[in-house]
Amino acid sequence: MILEIKFQENYSRGQLLLRSFFGWLYIVIPHIFLLMFLQIWSSILTFIAFWSILFTGRYPKSFFDFQVKLLRWNMRVNARIYNLSDGYPKFGLNAVDPNIILEVPYPEKLSRIMVLVKLLFGIFYVLIPHMIVLMFVSLAANFLLIANWFIILFTGKSDLSFHTFLVGTLRWSTKINLYMGFMTDTYPPFRISPLPEEVIPGLTTSEYNQNEYTS
Amino acid sequence: MNTHHDIPNPEDISIEDREDAMSGYLMMFASIGAGIPLPVINLIAGIIYFYISRNKSPFVRFHATQAVLSQLPTSLLNAGLIFWLIRIFFFDYELNDYFKIYAVIVGFLNISYFGFSIWAAVQARKGRMYYFLFIGKFSLGYAFKNRG
Repeated sequence: MILEIKFQENYSRGQLLLRSFFGWLYIVIPHIFLLMFLQIWSSILTFIAFWSILFTGRYPKSFFDFQVKLLRWNMRVNARIYNLSDGYPKFGLNAVDPNIILEVPYPEKLSRIMVLVKLLFGIFYVLIPHMIVLMFVSLAANFLLIANWFIILFTGKSDLSFHTFLVGTLRWSTKINLYMGFMTDTYPPFRISPLPEEVIPGLTTSEYNQNEYTS
Repeated sequence: MNTHHDIPNPEDISIEDREDAMSGYLMMFASIGAGIPLPVINLIAGIIYFYISRNKSPFVRFHATQAVLSQLPTSLLNAGLIFWLIRIFFFDYELNDYFKIYAVIVGFLNISYFGFSIWAAVQARKGRMYYFLFIGKFSLGYAFKNRG
């Protein structure tokens, strides 16, 4: 899974203030209202996909595509809430945001046993351990979010390491969602940075992560 | 120009189309998936799925149409059962014989609907056509009609 949110050279202070004080009104409420209905549909598709995987070993492709599009929409909104990207998040499942890259490879075959294991024991071996660690990570992310807010307000620029950490937190939770939503058999790793194969050359945040691997 | 598309051979139907066709029948579990235990949710999900599938291949369209039409009678009967049950619970306080007979009939129809739908879903996954009584023919005519 690849998730990157473009690191901008400059961030708008006006948009930052507008988002901070009125974001709930003009971003969160309209998007969440629509996403709520789509989330119900997503739950239905996940339930049906579970049975499909159990009996055929495949996640229906059209369902999978829908889920990825919904994840992208969620990510567009999250990127603004986390002040990782300027601009207004586009509405619609087919909308494209050049600042956000979210790619989930379609698995041609999924383990039928694992789908049962995830359903019955996922809470014990995925949710509980990840949630405990993510709780601390999210706490740190919240501090960075506040610090980054002031940095953008005073300098008009964001801090790359903060940005990378916040994107990493979103990536981590997305991987848990994918695993628990039966969309992959790859156990979500306990890490902020992307795996080496998930690094996109040429992208500032990815190169930052790549430097971490090489140094 | 042919007024209708030809019925495809099972081996000519892509796996994606087979899965989409199968999923139409599985919309009968929508209420469980959504966590809202109301029979009408299944029907709404079926209608949404039918609407989404309108631009897909005739094979998918056929199964989606048949799935949603087959849901109609059971959904109406289930709604009637719930309505009657609510009436008894709040007003009559007595399970009369008419209600018991109605409940048994609805139960039997639900089991039949469940069985036939699962069978149809399996056939759809195999790329085969499977016709329900009455609605099968109508669905075929609708889905395979050549829209130019």
